[in-house]
Amino acid sequence: MTTVTPTLTRSTAAPAVQTNGHHAAASPTMVEVRDLRKVFPKRPADTRPLWRRLLPGGRPAMEEFVAVSGVSFSIQQGEIFGLLGPNGAGKTTTIRMLSTLLEPTSGTATINGYDIARQAPLVRQNLGAVLTGERSIYWKLTGRENLEYFAALYHIPPQTAKQRVSELLERLDLANRADENVERYSSGMKQRIAIAKALLANPPVLLLDEPTIGLDPQSARNLRELILEIKNEGRTILLTTHYMEEADQLSDRIGIIDQGRIIALDTAANLKRSINQLDSLQLEVENFEPSLVETLTLMPTVENVISHSGEPTWSLALHTTDSRALLPEVIALVGSRGGQIRAMQVAQPTLEDVFISLTGKQLRD
Amino acid sequence: MQTLVQRSFASELRAILAVANKEWTIFRRYPTWIAAFLFWPVMFPLAAIMTARALGGPSGAGFGAFAQLAGTPDYVAYIALGNTVYMWMNITLWGVGLTLRNEQMRGTLESNWLCPVWRISMVVGQSLQHLATSLVFLAITFVEFWLVFGVQIVRGNVGLVLLVLALLVPCIYGIGIIFGSLVLRFKEPNAMVFLVRGLVMIFCGVSYPLAVLPGWMQTVAQYIPLTYAIQGIRDIGLRGASLAELTPTLMPLAWFAALLPILGFVTFTVTERRARRTGALGQY
Ligand SMILES: Nc1ncnc2c1ncn2[C@@H]1O[C@H](COP(=O)(O)OP(=O)(O)OP(=O)(O)O)[C@@H](O)[C@H]1O
Ligand SMILES: [Mg+2]
Repeated sequence: MTTVTPTLTRSTAAPAVQTNGHHAAASPTMVEVRDLRKVFPKRPADTRPLWRRLLPGGRPAMEEFVAVSGVSFSIQQGEIFGLLGPNGAGKTTTIRMLSTLLEPTSGTATINGYDIARQAPLVRQNLGAVLTGERSIYWKLTGRENLEYFAALYHIPPQTAKQRVSELLERLDLANRADENVERYSSGMKQRIAIAKALLANPPVLLLDEPTIGLDPQSARNLRELILEIKNEGRTILLTTHYMEEADQLSDRIGIIDQGRIIALDTAANLKRSINQLDSLQLEVENFEPSLVETLTLMPTVENVISHSGEPTWSLALHTTDSRALLPEVIALVGSRGGQIRAMQVAQPTLEDVFISLTGKQLRD
Repeated sequence: MQTLVQRSFASELRAILAVANKEWTIFRRYPTWIAAFLFWPVMFPLAAIMTARALGGPSGAGFGAFAQLAGTPDYVAYIALGNTVYMWMNITLWGVGLTLRNEQMRGTLESNWLCPVWRISMVVGQSLQHLATSLVFLAITFVEFWLVFGVQIVRGNVGLVLLVLALLVPCIYGIGIIFGSLVLRFKEPNAMVFLVRGLVMIFCGVSYPLAVLPGWMQTVAQYIPLTYAIQGIRDIGLRGASLAELTPTLMPLAWFAALLPILGFVTFTVTERRARRTGALGQY
């Protein structure tokens, strides 16, 4: 079980940090998002049988659910922009609007200069997107058949298509399994076919929704390298993730999104610097007295305390403005209540810490 | 960075063919359909045929009334024709309707709709493939009745039979596309298939002359295109009707053939727009 116990010293809704200006001069803007909002109509579950539902009247009243609440950012050519946020933050909804699968409730966005609402076909021509990963391709077809099929749907002339498909299969290291049914591929290979599909039309912009989700660590690492290679071809990439290491490693800039809003936007380094005055003090304690969490939280230099109760070892992470002064106090306090400290370290802040200090909660639980 | 997209009318047609071809490849890789295709054409009408045989009595004395109402004593061909049209509608409902739903559930629907191809082209391609397999199914039906019962179920003027089929195809696929759109929207394909095919089964005179139905049911039957198609094919094969005699049956069928594909297109477009607003497409 994980609990985050924030103190009240910091506001939980910090204003977004905008630093778009740094990059604007260098290269053209490929993705421009202005105040994008999505409100889903939501009807409370209707439990009546189908025949009754098909008749008019008697339905529960509609409610509204704000999934994306005024998101703005822009991405320059050749840049990887990471949207980092917890489950339900609105990452997928944002990407689905940009890829013309969803109509925004308000706001505008352009991809390579084309408006997502008024020029949807042109947007789709300039865009490769991987939304549902390995579920976005046909498992009963071979890798090559999948790509040739989608090439036709992208209106790529047959001769060009054949060549492009072979080239991509080669490039993504799938050539020797290209004529096997996808159902026999590993998750990593399926994901690569999905990415190859997105690259078919040689689009300048790529949208990747949680590209490494469900992959084993090795495949995930390979895929991240592939994403960096794709970026180095000059493509512009928007990716979403709820792995902070991934956002950190891949993104030139990161937008931290929570509850449909971007609450911070900058390079990973700048984001971490913004809470540099905070250290993260991490402890592993046996026989920990749970009521101490409250006491620790109330100590003057402590910003918040995250505790994982484990048997027999508890892990604690304290954000503090002064780890030097705090360290001996914590050791004494924990010891006085019978706790034995098994491990301890003072860590540099991570993006996770940035998120916690902005929202008072953890990215993942 | 130059994209490889080159849109034209020809490329849209190629996309439609690619969809049909993909459906066919996937279809081939689920071999269970072969058994179904061999088994059902004769098995399905068999119940009605045997019931008829029992009611007709050992000497066939009971068929007099049937022959009077149906205009032919050949009850095997009569029942087989009605059931075959019904089966065709049925496999189209499952086929076109459920293909869309399956794509929605598997996650491939959205990945198709990310492409610049027209969204209706996907449905058209799927319908093409289903039409091709349905024609195979019809051929198998014809051969099996010949082998098993020694009855040639389609006979008479081939040109007229083809005319009825040509009018029936747009009706069946129009209904299929309307049905597929509603399945995307309501997500309860099984209940909906039972509803639609129940209507066809009862009201269209699949196994009996419409005259045996109560008056209000005959009125309902007038609003279902399959009623006219079944009647037309029976009139041609079993009574040797001429084009002039068929005209009153074929005129309503022609109207349905013109309207249903348009209605299918409209339903699909409305569903697709609505899904883009509510986000219902990606859910399952
Ligand atoms: N079609 C829909 N209708 C109603 N609500 C929806 C719909 N799609 C998404 N939502 C809701 O909108 C919110 C944002 O969802 P979204 O999928 O964008 O989150 P996410 O950041 O991608 O999360 P995850 O990390 O879980 O993928 C969620 O609360 C979700 O339940
Ligand atoms: Mg998501």
